Amino acid sequence: MSMPIPGSEQFSSRAVDAGELARSLPSSLPVHTVTQEQIDALDPLTYEVVRHRLWSVTDEMGEALKRMSGSPIVTDANDFDFAISDELGQEVQVGLYNTMLVGAVDLAIYWTLRNRAVNPGIESGDMFLCNDPWVGGGLHQNDVIVYQPVFHEGELFAWTSAVCHEPDLGGVGLGSFSPAAEDVFSESLPTPPVKVVRGGRLQRDVADLWVRRSRVPMLVGLDLRAKIGANNVGAERLQALIDQYGADTVKAVMKRMMSDAETRMRGKIAALPDGSWTATGYQDQSHVGDRNLHKITVTTTKSGDHLTFDFTGTDPQAGVINCTYAGMRGGVMLALLPILAGDIPWSAGGLMRCFDLVTEEGTINNATFPAAVGRGPIGPAWLTGSLVAECLAQMLDRDLELGRNVQATCCGTWDTAVIAGLDERGEQPSPFLSIMMEPMAGGYGARPHADGMDSGGLLGIPMGRVPDVEMTEFLYPVLALWRREEPDSGGPGRHRGGLSASMAFTPHGTSIPMGLVLASAGKAVAQNGGLAGGLPGNTGLDVVVRNSRVAQMLADGDVPTDVDAMGGVVEPGQNYASSYIAPGEVFAMRWQGGGGYGDPLHRDPAAVAHDLREEKITAAAARDVYGVVLGGPDGSDVDGSATDALREELRGRRRASAELLREPTGGTVDLQSARRLDDNLVEVRGELACGRCAQGLGDPSSPEGLSLARHQGPPTGAGPQILADPADYVDAEVVFRQYYCPNCWTALHSAVVPADHADVIAGAHHVVGA
Amino acid sequence: MAYVIGVDVGGTFTDAVLDDDAGTVLAAKSPSTPPDYSRGVLDVLGLLAEQLGRTLPEMLAETHHIAHGTTSSLNALVMGNVPDVGFLTTKGHRDSIFIMNVEGRYLGRAPHELQNILGQDKHGLLPKRHALEVTERIDRDGNIVVALDEDKARASIRALLADGVRAIAVSLLWSFRNPVHERRLREIVTEEDPEVFVALSSEVSPRIREFARNATTVMSTQIGPGLRDYLGTLESSLRDHGLTGPLLVMQSNGGAVAAKEAPATAISTVGSVLTGGVVGSVALGRQLGHRNIISTDVGGTTFLAGLVVDGEPVRDTTTVINHHPINVPTLRVDAIGSGGGAIAWLDSGGNLRIGPRSAQAVPGPACYGNGGTEPTNTDANLVLGILTERGLIGGRKPLSLELARQAIDTQIAKPLGLTVEEAAAAIYAVQNAQTGDLLRKTVVEAGHDPRNFVVYAFGGAGPAHCAGYAAEVGVGEVVVPLGPVASAFSAFGLASSDIVLAAELSDPLVVPFDPQRAERNFADLEKLVRDGLERQGVTFEAVELHREIDMRYTMQLAEVTAPVAGGALDTAAIEDAAAAFEARYAEMYGKDAGFREAGIQAITFRVRGVGILPFSPALPEVPVADGDATPSGTRPVQLDARLGYLDTPIYDYRELRAGHVLTGPAIVEVPTTTVVVPGGTAGTVDHLGNLTIRTTGVAS
Repeated sequence: MSMPIPGSEQFSSRAVDAGELARSLPSSLPVHTVTQEQIDALDPLTYEVVRHRLWSVTDEMGEALKRMSGSPIVTDANDFDFAISDELGQEVQVGLYNTMLVGAVDLAIYWTLRNRAVNPGIESGDMFLCNDPWVGGGLHQNDVIVYQPVFHEGELFAWTSAVCHEPDLGGVGLGSFSPAAEDVFSESLPTPPVKVVRGGRLQRDVADLWVRRSRVPMLVGLDLRAKIGANNVGAERLQALIDQYGADTVKAVMKRMMSDAETRMRGKIAALPDGSWTATGYQDQSHVGDRNLHKITVTTTKSGDHLTFDFTGTDPQAGVINCTYAGMRGGVMLALLPILAGDIPWSAGGLMRCFDLVTEEGTINNATFPAAVGRGPIGPAWLTGSLVAECLAQMLDRDLELGRNVQATCCGTWDTAVIAGLDERGEQPSPFLSIMMEPMAGGYGARPHADGMDSGGLLGIPMGRVPDVEMTEFLYPVLALWRREEPDSGGPGRHRGGLSASMAFTPHGTSIPMGLVLASAGKAVAQNGGLAGGLPGNTGLDVVVRNSRVAQMLADGDVPTDVDAMGGVVEPGQNYASSYIAPGEVFAMRWQGGGGYGDPLHRDPAAVAHDLREEKITAAAARDVYGVVLGGPDGSDVDGSATDALREELRGRRRASAELLREPTGGTVDLQSARRLDDNLVEVRGELACGRCAQGLGDPSSPEGLSLARHQGPPTGAGPQILADPADYVDAEVVFRQYYCPNCWTALHSAVVPADHADVIAGAHHVVGA
Repeated sequence: MAYVIGVDVGGTFTDAVLDDDAGTVLAAKSPSTPPDYSRGVLDVLGLLAEQLGRTLPEMLAETHHIAHGTTSSLNALVMGNVPDVGFLTTKGHRDSIFIMNVEGRYLGRAPHELQNILGQDKHGLLPKRHALEVTERIDRDGNIVVALDEDKARASIRALLADGVRAIAVSLLWSFRNPVHERRLREIVTEEDPEVFVALSSEVSPRIREFARNATTVMSTQIGPGLRDYLGTLESSLRDHGLTGPLLVMQSNGGAVAAKEAPATAISTVGSVLTGGVVGSVALGRQLGHRNIISTDVGGTTFLAGLVVDGEPVRDTTTVINHHPINVPTLRVDAIGSGGGAIAWLDSGGNLRIGPRSAQAVPGPACYGNGGTEPTNTDANLVLGILTERGLIGGRKPLSLELARQAIDTQIAKPLGLTVEEAAAAIYAVQNAQTGDLLRKTVVEAGHDPRNFVVYAFGGAGPAHCAGYAAEVGVGEVVVPLGPVASAFSAFGLASSDIVLAAELSDPLVVPFDPQRAERNFADLEKLVRDGLERQGVTFEAVELHREIDMRYTMQLAEVTAPVAGGALDTAAIEDAAAAFEARYAEMYGKDAGFREAGIQAITFRVRGVGILPFSPALPEVPVADGDATPSGTRPVQLDARLGYLDTPIYDYRELRAGHVLTGPAIVEVPTTTVVVPGGTAGTVDHLGNLTIRTTGVAS
């Protein structure tokens, strides 16, 4: 980690007070705005017609971008977004693609208004380009935003923007990802806002300066044109809307869309009881050679109709696993949009007024220059989102109706695997470089009323997509041995977490080894935690099988579908590594599924039988994890009494392996007068109790702690989904911990965490870890 | 005398149109009769015969052919009402149809559903125990990497049969490059049980991208046996009643195919009723001289939009059913939102929203008096005076203004502080504007400018709104097809269709490629198509073969279909095809959108064969007016909130004649629908009895 760089702080953009920003603008940049009276005077007809039109304008921008882009990351994986913002940059309407970008777009516009208004000026016909994650617009340098001020009668009326992930923008590593980077100087150069279009003309010199840094300059040039095209579509259609309805009306609608979204979000928040919830998560390893765990922690406080996300206590920035303030904000949006705003139009400028961020500079999710931030969105920002989601889930779980949006943590990161080599299948050998896009098929977390979606995707890229195996094999010299959902990869629970999937390939059509760059997390510790006693989803595992027998097996007429059956040496890929795969070797990757919800011993045995039939779980898990005994001709009929007996036995084992933290002091409580906290816990006049058996568990605020039993053991005790051995990745001790009601032995909390992790049960009530 | 009959079997009604070679056009309507839809078909044919004054056998004996469109296969898929089928696929890749490329979670969802991520779900097409892997592997160049393990495959097939499966879909990786394993698997199934229905992906959909190919093959297998049984019953009962000519089934591609040929590639028929209206628009457009048409079919719950460009319907190579991408050459028909039964509601922010939820047939709009309490477009139209309590002049269902007012008042007007009339006007205007937005999206995404089009509006709920939504997208001319086929326009389209067969094959190649290889591809496909046309049992007036290639820029994913000239294929012809691809790409995605420097690839080769039938139904001319149109009366109607209620002339369509001009605002009551002619437009009755609404630029 390099020393701080004086002078770099001027590039750090922050959320602003809109009024203060407006007052700070020079008189040379008049802005168009409307009064509150004009907003209030809108009739419902005009509001709805113009609102819908703005949606369709944004939609057309996205279509234009997607169709013109040359990058599979955009066209196939949908890692991009676009927005229309008001004159100050506040987002009025955003796209439905990479939702983390929503937290970064406005920051770039605020910064531009503050730092470009006088020199070189902000004028009609301009477009700016930026890939500086400290300024905003994106979460790491590969996210490149092109944005445009839209003027009406000489006044700055609005902004349009388009941002997408570029395949490579230079730096030491392939795809601008440098797994060994210690600072940003090994990565792609951050470029603060620069005028790439002036007076409607692409600035050739600026464009050349831009594409020159890339290993794929043609693609980057094409995407630049795509983004300019999308902005042009936005400006034209916005202008037509102004011509039809008048600038004041359109602006009043834009403002009201934001305040409407804000009001509705506040209404939702206000309906919940005040409280405070904490969540802490980890990235294992920070860069090549590191063997530490790196923590992000957040305390979410809900007071009235406002939320505060306080990240104090997060670890200092390290290696490549950092993100800027924009990344932290993007992570918050990742969670907030689907969980609290699924039914509220995404006028993000309004939604963002409903929360504050508290954070320390120089930490993993608020890194200062020159920290390496290449893994920003998929590492720390994502983890930030998962932790915020965990807090929101606990908050909402108290309410049965809002609890419909409670979800255990989804797949907690993006497993990066970049391959590059020589394709020798054509007449002329040709070089190739590709990111494996399969990890897009992550699992979703389980819910109070439903299982998590199997291979449902990634929460942060709602419209992500996995390419077909045939397209991958058509484009690159590989043979996919399998791509499948992995049984048992979903976190066990009363509702099961969504399965993740795995894939394996061997080189096919190339005679030389291909390069392999890896970057991931969640091997040593779980990043996809469960809720309400539910267990975490699977840990990831990426392996290379050296000297395998795969070629012989294929020649002998079999397709290998099991890593252990291929012979050779199974080498676990480190989270950060530069490696290779030679012909005859196999690369297999398993990414993360979703966490479970509730105690697996409470799962409906019929659902367990169904899961077994549908190969969501193995027979061993049905028995050992869910305590369900199945029989009958095809082994899928539930044996009710044997199941009851086995579950009783498993609860007995819990009792035998657990220590009692404190003898129960009180008796039972009256569940009729209790208030729900989650699937198992209730609260009665300040006392915590088990909602299953009414056992009083004590006063959470008492210094003696709660009357709970606790098990601690090796991570594999959490179930068959724990794949990797933590010792392969980190030095710290990692454990499985589970807390029980000391009366009925319901699992109240389960986690795979470092031994020094502070467990949190029932909101902010801490039980100090062993 | 020779007749051509089009029959459109919908969920509620079965419509039929008969046309003879002397210029007669008749239409009839009868209730559909699920689960055995063939009864309803015979009923409606009986009604046609009655109108002709002949017996059913007399009419059928002189019928050249019947073209039949049915929604039953699509309904069966959408409702999940399909039999168990088995699926055999390449070892290691069974889960393709369960992972669904992730997109199975959101494909085909409306915008508000897309945003509600936690409200989404994803469902496999069949249980995993019926999806079995076979040991085999072929690579992208068609080489056999692992030979088919026949013993294991046979054991899997036996397991499926033992579990009661009577239809099996086979889809292996790269089977379109080398179908040898798929074909052998079919042989094995047949050896085990010759009665089992088998579909091979290399025949149903020989196109790259296994997920869509798998899903297409499975769905085709799910509906194939049912379609076979239904058409078998229908055909034999038509034969019993004297039909000697062929029974044809409409396909998604806008052309028909012989009933006995349809089940093998059943999936190609799922869109048949959706496309009838577009084919009808093409036929009518030919008569009216319109080459660019936006065809809008608005019913109670759906709003369907299709496009005709330069006289040809806009085609697509893929459609979405139940959130799965389905490879089927199809006329592009977008379901874009809501029909007459769409519900107006206030969201939690107190904003007025319309649809996409609909009151459906039951309870229907509040004014139907069937217990509906939520206000719909139809209720608003009643309050505005567009409709009356008497209901449609050809209908028997009176409407309740009281209930309509009550619903709008409680749900919309009171909470917004508006009068009932103001709220109704807002609903009408918002509906028209939003429809306009969605219509624009359909036209723009196909690469066209709506201002160059004429809107055709049919279906019961379209004509009340069409002038409004057309104006929103900048279209100055709207045609409401009336005359004898007003209530059965889709059946008119069926009656006017030709036979269309398509065959395709993915063979990804980099341009410029070896012309001989491409020629071989086309020759194989043309043979398939010609053989297929021969099997139809119909005499064609002419046969046209169209060659096309789906191409893409190497670095860009969007594939665009380019026509290829017939005749010997040489380097120049390939260059021409590439140039046509580039021109079309620029048209769709904008000038400079393509990235030529990275190269162009040909992905899928296709031949479309059109067997032109010796019939081309035309609408007959209607009597010419000898004076101005006389309104049947007036009533207060509010079409523009700024003007409020105006005393508006009402015309009875039955009294109108060719050449009558109606200056807006005016209402035309037709037995099956109600047409709004807004202020600033004029409606003209044309020589075929259609009402054409044009902007006059003169505000009322």
